[in-house]
Amino acid sequence: MAVGTVLLVDDSRVSRLMTRSVIARHHPDWEVLEAASGEEALALSTGLAIDFMLVDVNMPGLDGITTATRLKASHPAARITLLTANIQDAVQDKARAAGIGFIGKPITEEKIARFFSMGGAEC
Amino acid sequence: MLGFSELQRDAITEVLNIAIGRAAAALNQMVDDEEVRLSVPCLDFLSRSEATLRLRRETGGAPTVAVKQRFAGPEAGDILLIFPESRSLELVHLMLRNTTPLETMTEMEREALVEVGNVLLNACLGSIANLFRRPIDSSLPVYVEAGGDAILHLGEDAGRTARSEDTVMFVHVEFALAQRDLRGYLACVMDIASAQAFGQHIEDYVRQAIGN
Repeated sequence: MAVGTVLLVDDSRVSRLMTRSVIARHHPDWEVLEAASGEEALALSTGLAIDFMLVDVNMPGLDGITTATRLKASHPAARITLLTANIQDAVQDKARAAGIGFIGKPITEEKIARFFSMGGAEC
Repeated sequence: MLGFSELQRDAITEVLNIAIGRAAAALNQMVDDEEVRLSVPCLDFLSRSEATLRLRRETGGAPTVAVKQRFAGPEAGDILLIFPESRSLELVHLMLRNTTPLETMTEMEREALVEVGNVLLNACLGSIANLFRRPIDSSLPVYVEAGGDAILHLGEDAGRTARSEDTVMFVHVEFALAQRDLRGYLACVMDIASAQAFGQHIEDYVRQAIGN
């Protein structure tokens, strides 16, 4: 794939750092944007072309499912997945219904790399 | 004192084994597949002050740190991941060793421990929600520092006053990274009404599972 742009939405700085480091190893030329909340993600992404978005669920303020759904509406071409510790079936069902992928934490190199190698197809 | 029948107690232990097993699997992935050993979950009805003493004894009286999440619904309570303070950083270092330069790590230790708690506690709660086929709402994880007293001093943030003589259902399990002598505890505290609701859910789950 050509140079890509990724948006990481997670209130945990550590999680963003871990995901970013996997991307840096596998796709060193990609641009990685970070948002610490849903609100920040929506503001930051406005008008930007973004290829992949990874969105946490449990965050202060706007929750990740609402955030991801709105991001999908504003960026229909982007590949969007939840990346969350909240592994409940109810969350996975909502993601599926909204056409959003689901990756359960913990973050591992294999899971993140696979998401990108499959072009953002659902994991 | 609330009692569970032997069968109920067995069913509760089994459900908790599944939930804690899921948390252990998550921990195992975080530390590059090092073996995680689990003790059998220990379930007791104790006063809050007795639970505090029990925890202090288990941790050898050493200072502990914890990550705590409050869950709500028919069963409300607190679930905690507890570590002896002196060893908690080792876990953080293990988790971040592939991603973070050592100098950055120090300032992120607390956040990293909260993220460990987030993943493990949600793995536990999530698998129980999935077994019961019912969502469980939970708060964001918070970091708690100090001894067992402060860690199990619960309830005020939900608008209830937790009294030390109140009886609670106290469940805890010890886990250890086999190669490092690194131990921690997963603990769950529920008031009596919540424990009864939890017991009822378990009964329904067992009845469904055996097709009754």
